[in-house]
Amino acid sequence: MKEIRLARKIIKTLVKDRIQYPARLFADTASIVARCGILLLLYSYVFGLNNGVIKGTTFVVVAWSMFFYFSFSTLGLSRIARYIMQDIISGHIEVLFSKPIFYLSYRAWWQIGVGAYPFVVTTILGSTALIFTVGVPETMATSLFYLTFLLTFVGAVIVSLFVYTIVGLLAFWVEDITPVHWIIDKAVMILGGSYLPIALFPDFMYKISLYSPFGASVFVTHTVYESWATVWYKLIGIQMAWVLVLGIIVYLMFSKAVKNVSVNGG
Amino acid sequence: MMRELRFALYAIKKNIQSSAELRTSFLMNIIGMTINNTAFIILWVFFVQSVGVIGGWTAMDIVALQGITAVTYGLVFSFGAGIKKLPDYVASGTFDRFMLSPKNILVRVATSSFGASGVGDIVFGVVCLIIYGIISHISMAQILLLLILVILATLLFFAVAITIYSASFLFTDASFVVNGLFELFLTPSLFHGGAFQGATRAFFMFVIPALLVGTIPVEIIKNLSMGKLAIVTVFTFIWLIIAIKVFNWAVRRYESSNLMTFGG
Repeated sequence: MKEIRLARKIIKTLVKDRIQYPARLFADTASIVARCGILLLLYSYVFGLNNGVIKGTTFVVVAWSMFFYFSFSTLGLSRIARYIMQDIISGHIEVLFSKPIFYLSYRAWWQIGVGAYPFVVTTILGSTALIFTVGVPETMATSLFYLTFLLTFVGAVIVSLFVYTIVGLLAFWVEDITPVHWIIDKAVMILGGSYLPIALFPDFMYKISLYSPFGASVFVTHTVYESWATVWYKLIGIQMAWVLVLGIIVYLMFSKAVKNVSVNGG
Repeated sequence: MMRELRFALYAIKKNIQSSAELRTSFLMNIIGMTINNTAFIILWVFFVQSVGVIGGWTAMDIVALQGITAVTYGLVFSFGAGIKKLPDYVASGTFDRFMLSPKNILVRVATSSFGASGVGDIVFGVVCLIIYGIISHISMAQILLLLILVILATLLFFAVAITIYSASFLFTDASFVVNGLFELFLTPSLFHGGAFQGATRAFFMFVIPALLVGTIPVEIIKNLSMGKLAIVTVFTFIWLIIAIKVFNWAVRRYESSNLMTFGG
């Protein structure tokens, strides 16, 4: 109960905070327009050249899949790594350790709180724009889609938080984790189906995307494809396996990292 | 003019020396950025493999595009990394120290910081261009053209960056706004050039000049198109004039936040 109260309080406070800064919402929207909007323009042209179908997939499916990736990215879960690094470098982590809360869950709820408002707004705006411009694929009109989408979304949030928490915790040993963060970010970007939709992946890349935590952290992009009806349980299973494995790694790393902290006072 | 240039070179030298002091971090930034950029090559090469050649653009043209864009981005944001910090300088009141300096404000701001990761971009870009040159068997004339275009693209990129980051003086929460605007310029410059056609191409050439940084230079080198070279040259100078005018106009709107910040 205490944990839920803390989460609710953090998210509520941060959502209120974000509402006060419309410029930040503009930045998130501009980012979505710049990346997703332009990509969709390009893909509509490319699909047009190929009579509307590439590798058995239509543009409308690809458009929604890519939109899910960019919409999910507005949650900004990857930034947890940078926040953890800043806490460590600035020494602020000592203060947070002395609070009666679990540091990592505080950071996770904080990240969700910061991203919640832009995520909701850009998702509503983007979905509306997509519905009126490209339409809705048949695969999204089933009850299976909505049930499994929700499950996959929650799984994706947890896997993402774990992956980037591991990157952030590396700062206890290497201090500047920025280059590692870039590389992990790009792995997620490639295997998540951002610039290149998963339908266009070569076979080996599709397999890496299925079985790596980087692909699993954005499995929401798979939910619109026709194949989802037959593979959803497998993908959700893989996601759960990664939640377990990464959870153990986070726990072990954090236990070791805590021993590295020396409180200097001041 | 020469005095300003000498000062800029001196500031850049000192910034590099300061950055290189943290050797591990410096090297990790360079290597990390090089690997990071490779992701775009992988993505677009697979794209070409999946959908075939579009607008005459092959996988090697994408390598050249990524190379030119990376070099220009690297040159601007390694030696002129201070431009990126403009929103912070304005918000924190640190900009005061540039106003008090007897040097040219724009030169002073641009050279106030050095971005080690930009060196990674330059390394990556040069490697891409060498690969492109070897595999595409480009002639001496094309090599010369490539060098000229890299210089023009860098100036254009620098000018657009100044224009966008000048918006820091106009908003209270500027860093988010300018980063959003900058994204609108940078992202299309990294995209597959052959897929920009018609109105989209015109928009990203003449309104947001993203295609003038990489896409058009690659097409100039491929087709030895002097008409497009003239367009890039003219627009580079137009954007340079716009950038200086906008920056000077924006600086006049600066209000000090009266923080006690000196030196640095």
